[in-house]
Amino acid sequence: MAEGMLQGKVAVVTGAGRGIGRAIAIMMASRGASVVVNDVGAGLSDQSTDQTPAQEVVDTIKKAGGQAVAAYDSVADWDGAHRIIKSALDNFGRIDILVNNAGILRDKMFHHMTKDDIDSVLKVHLYGAFNMCRATVEHFRKQESGVFLHMTSRSGIYGNVGQANYAAAKLALVGFSNSLQLEMERFNVRSNLISPSANTRMTQSVPSANYGGAEAHAARLAAMPPEGVAVLATMLASDAASAVRGQIIGARGNDIILYNHPRPVRILHRDGGWTPESLAEAMPVMSSMYTRIAPGSDPMKWGAN
Amino acid sequence: MAEGMLQGKVALITGSGRGIGRSMAILMASRGASVVVNDVGAGLHGETTGETPAQEVVDTIKKAGGNAVANYDSVSDWDGAHRMVKQAVDAFGKIDIVVNNAGILRDVMFHKMTPEEFDAVTKVHLFGSIYVSRAAAPEFRKQESGCYIHMTSVSGLFGNIGQVNYGAAKTGIVGLSNTLAQELAKYNVRSNCISPSGNTRMTQSVPVRGTEEEKKAREKKMAATPPESPGILATFLASDLAKDINGQVIGARGSEIQLYSHSRPVRFLNHKGGWTPELLAESLPKLAPLFSPVVPSKAWASWAPD
Repeated sequence: MAEGMLQGKVAVVTGAGRGIGRAIAIMMASRGASVVVNDVGAGLSDQSTDQTPAQEVVDTIKKAGGQAVAAYDSVADWDGAHRIIKSALDNFGRIDILVNNAGILRDKMFHHMTKDDIDSVLKVHLYGAFNMCRATVEHFRKQESGVFLHMTSRSGIYGNVGQANYAAAKLALVGFSNSLQLEMERFNVRSNLISPSANTRMTQSVPSANYGGAEAHAARLAAMPPEGVAVLATMLASDAASAVRGQIIGARGNDIILYNHPRPVRILHRDGGWTPESLAEAMPVMSSMYTRIAPGSDPMKWGAN
Repeated sequence: MAEGMLQGKVALITGSGRGIGRSMAILMASRGASVVVNDVGAGLHGETTGETPAQEVVDTIKKAGGNAVANYDSVSDWDGAHRMVKQAVDAFGKIDIVVNNAGILRDVMFHKMTPEEFDAVTKVHLFGSIYVSRAAAPEFRKQESGCYIHMTSVSGLFGNIGQVNYGAAKTGIVGLSNTLAQELAKYNVRSNCISPSGNTRMTQSVPVRGTEEEKKAREKKMAATPPESPGILATFLASDLAKDINGQVIGARGSEIQLYSHSRPVRFLNHKGGWTPELLAESLPKLAPLFSPVVPSKAWASWAPD
């Protein structure tokens, strides 16, 4: 295998048995990284487990001459997360890259959403990222280097009907990453977010009506293989991206999409302070700069190509 | 009491025994709203104190001629969240306004943050906001009107050292609000976020570091940031005068009201035939000029809002 942009680095990719995680693991390995392929082998929204997907990814990587081991613990479990990181240290001697990719869906209209729908989604996406980062952070501090990558989503950035739980979890990771980046700056550690779009088991589960019919949905998905996201993750994990810190970058097929962060864009000041009544009179000044409320498909209604 | 901009409306305000929530409850009541004053009476870190600040706020409101009842349930308890909404309906016949304001802090550097410290903050801020919103959603749908106001924070929007738990919870709330703003719009329900600054027990607990000059500047800022400002914004947002405001993030800091942008794409790169990691690395200079700078929240507002 030729010298790659991740040569000598060790990566842990969570939820790497299928879909985007799988593509990230395989591409990072192809660029020289040793990879811990973590996947509990869960159903998309149930509790079943199956060790086959992670092992298949490991086999695929090894067949191509790369290095990988499987890890089956759940990121939602504190001890499990520590075991996954320990597997990287035991097998490859270090950890350089953590990709928080594991996720599940429990889509439901908000007024029907159960406590379990909310708790289970937050447990995997948000608590999973917390557990994994906590298990990793001492090593990053000690070696004064490291890369965190977290998956956010347009479902949170824009909001998405039927995904209040998922949207909350995914935008929570933005505040998480922002603060983590500020803290870890002096240890030369980077934390970035990817907003992925790809054709996977997860996106195939979304009712096609959202996307203008089954046929259109299938065509859109076909133009977004998970490798598009893997390319971005691999580049961000490499030293070529050493100046990329605290950003949100999307990947969709052949599109790479840089997002800004929320910032104050207009400030009103009133000597002596406001009353609700005086504010009501002044607020129309702001209205031209309100953010338009629209689903995440809004900025990219054309298909990926 | 004169006819106010919230006349006839019913508001549930979580964490309104003290600080920002308290001043919101009193102000909304002064504009005609009947208020459920929710507060578990916890200490700053969520510990039990045996205090009942909610009742004191209710007394204050009643003394001024307003309507209010106290509620002591925890927002992080699914059943408790449903009980406080039910109490609004039982006491005042309906619910129009939900303000998710309850919050605690467990500031600690990330490498020392325990699962308990992460969980406690997430439970109150994020789960609490979702649970209370969820409990009110069927009522809002039924009456085809309603208003959610959630507290986010510069600690999440910008990030803040020692607050990974709090920062995460606070932007998670924006994701919730973004979704509710879309999902419930057809029922005439609005959802907005306030990014509050207020000189309260919570902000006073944040340790002050730096030079004497920096400490003085912070003191001046705090003095110019009374807790009333977010309540003024909330009262306006909850009124029908704000019926066109949905899905926004608006800050309140003393005499300043700040409209925030949302994260949006600022540059697309497309490569026909597909990217490789190597090709993309070469294209990084096309993105770098538009990167958002990584700065703590205090960096954007160095001045006192007086």
